[in-house]
Amino acid sequence: MASNQGEGDHTGLPNNQLMATNFFDQEGAAYFGELEEALMHGVAGITSDQDKTSFCTSRPPTLDIFPSWPIRFQQVSKTEGSTDSGSVQNTISQMDSEESPGSRKASSELFGKQKEEMASDSPQTNQKLKTQEKRRLVGSTSDKDGKAVDPKTLKRLAQNREAAKKSRLRKKAYIQQLESSRIKLTQLEQDLQRARAQGMFLGGCGTDGNVSSVFDMEYSRWLDEGCKNTMELRQGLEVHLPDADLRAIVDKCLTHYDQLFQLKATAAKLDVFHIITGMWATPAERCFLWMGGFKPSELLRVIMPQLDPLTEGQLVGLYNLQQSSQQAEEALFQGLEQFQHSLANTVAGDSLIESANVGTYTGHMAVAVGKFANLEGFVRQADNLRQQSLHQMHRILTIRQAARCFLAIGEYHSRLRALSSLWASRPRENLMNESALPVTTELQIVQQPVDGHFSGF
Amino acid sequence: MQSQAAAAVEEEEWGYLRAARGTTMYELERVERLASESAVVIFSVSSCCMCHAVKRLFCSMGVSPTVVELDEDPRGKEMERALSRLLGGGSAPAVPVVFIGGKLVGAMDRVMAAHINGTLVPLLKEAGALWL
Repeated sequence: MASNQGEGDHTGLPNNQLMATNFFDQEGAAYFGELEEALMHGVAGITSDQDKTSFCTSRPPTLDIFPSWPIRFQQVSKTEGSTDSGSVQNTISQMDSEESPGSRKASSELFGKQKEEMASDSPQTNQKLKTQEKRRLVGSTSDKDGKAVDPKTLKRLAQNREAAKKSRLRKKAYIQQLESSRIKLTQLEQDLQRARAQGMFLGGCGTDGNVSSVFDMEYSRWLDEGCKNTMELRQGLEVHLPDADLRAIVDKCLTHYDQLFQLKATAAKLDVFHIITGMWATPAERCFLWMGGFKPSELLRVIMPQLDPLTEGQLVGLYNLQQSSQQAEEALFQGLEQFQHSLANTVAGDSLIESANVGTYTGHMAVAVGKFANLEGFVRQADNLRQQSLHQMHRILTIRQAARCFLAIGEYHSRLRALSSLWASRPRENLMNESALPVTTELQIVQQPVDGHFSGF
Repeated sequence: MQSQAAAAVEEEEWGYLRAARGTTMYELERVERLASESAVVIFSVSSCCMCHAVKRLFCSMGVSPTVVELDEDPRGKEMERALSRLLGGGSAPAVPVVFIGGKLVGAMDRVMAAHINGTLVPLLKEAGALWL
C-alpha cells in the first residue's frame, strides 16, 4: 500500500499526480477491495498501514444505495466542517488534471486523510466515497498550505460545483424513482394476490407454473420416445419380425403408456387444471379432450375397423370393451356433473344479488376451493380407465394384432398433432380468428369438457 | 359356537378396545356384516361425487346396489376409518368402497378396472345381482 503521508507532506502537484497514478496502477485494485470491505463493515478506516485520520474514525457508517457516478471531488458547503480541509485544493487540482470518467482520481495524498473519498471503478466504493467526500471536502477556496488559487483552478472548481449539483439532482430524482417504484411494486403484489384468489381457477398458471412446465417437458420427452416406438412397430411389422421380438416391442409400448399415466398422476396432484384442461396437448387433441385425455371408447371406435381381420372371439371381446368403457365413462361423467352442480351451488352461495358480507363470502369461497380437490380424483379415474382399456386391448389381441393396434393409436395421435401444426400455420385472414383461440381455451377451463367433440367452442 | 360367557367376554374386550382406540374391530365387523347382507353393497357419503359415479355405474349395468351412507350413520366416522384401513391406509378417500357377494372389491379404481377387464360382470352374476 502506499505509504501514509501527513498533510504537509504533499507539495507540488506533479509529484503527487505521478504518485497517484503509480499507486493506482499498481495497487489500486487490492486497495479498493480492502476499502470496500472496510466500508461495508462500517469500519472506521482502513486496516492497513494507512493511518486512521480523524476523518476516518469520526465517520459513521453509511448505507449507500445509490448507483455509482463518476466521483467528482467537489466543494460542498463550507459549513460542512471537516478537519481535512488542508489538502482539498491539491486534491481537486489533481482530480481535474487526471480527469476521466469513472477512472481513479485520487492521489496518495488523499490516502492519508480521505481514503474513503477515492474515486474508483468499483461502484460501491464510488457510492460510499461520494457521500463521505461530500462531508469531508470542505468548500474552501483557501488553502491551508497557502498556495495560490489560480483562475484555471477557480474555473475547475466552478465546474466541479456544477457537476456536483447535477449529481445531487440526479441522485434526488433517482431516489424518487426508486420510491415510486417501490410503491408500485407493493401495489402490484397486492393486485396479484387478489387476482390469484379470484382468477386462479381461470388461468391456473400462478404458482403452478413450475409444475406445468416440468410436466410439459417430461411429456415432450415421452412423445419423442413414443415416436420411436411407433417407428419400431411399423418396421417390425413390415419386416415380419418373429412374434417374440414383436412382443418385446409391444410390451415396451404398453409400459410407455403406463409411464404417461404415472406422469399425469403426479402432475395432477400438483396442478390438476393443467392436466384436465389439456394445456399440455395440442389444439386438435384438445378438441377430443375428455377428462384430461383421450376417450377410450371413442379411440376404440376409430381404430377397430383397421384391426381386421379379427376372430369372432376378439370381436366380441372388443365390443364388450367398448361397451364397458362407455358405461364407465358415462358414470364418471355423471359424477363430474354432480361435482359441477355442487360447486356451482357453493359459489352462488345464499345471494348473488345482494352484496354478501365478507364473512359468508370468504366462507363459501373456502368451501369451493376445498371442493376442487375432487377434480384430481376424476382425472385419475379417467386415466385409470384409459390405462385399463389399453391393457385389455393387449389382452384380447394377438401379438401381431396388438402391434398393429398400438401402431394405429400412435399414428392417429401423431396425425392429430400434425393437424394442430397445420392449423397453426394456416394463412390468417384477420387477427380476430386468432384471438378467438385463447378465449376458447378459457371456456374449456371454466366449463368442464362435455361428452363429445368441440366441447370448448 | 361361542358360549354366552365367552361372547360376553369378547364383547367386553371389543368394548375396551373401542374405548381405547376410537375405531376398532367393532366397526370393521359392522362393515363386514353390512357388506354381506346384500349382493352389492356400496359404502358412500351422500355428498361425495365419486360415490355418485359408482352408483350410476351399477345402475347403468342394471344392478340395484345397497347403499350405506356413512354421513347418515351415527358411527359413520369410525366406519370410514375402518374402511380406509381395509383399503390399505394412505391418503386415498375411504369412500366409495364396493363389496360384491360379501367380498371386498375395492375403491373406484378397482371397480372400474374390474369392469374393463371383464371380471365385474361374472362377479355380479355369481352374487346374484345380475341375471342374463
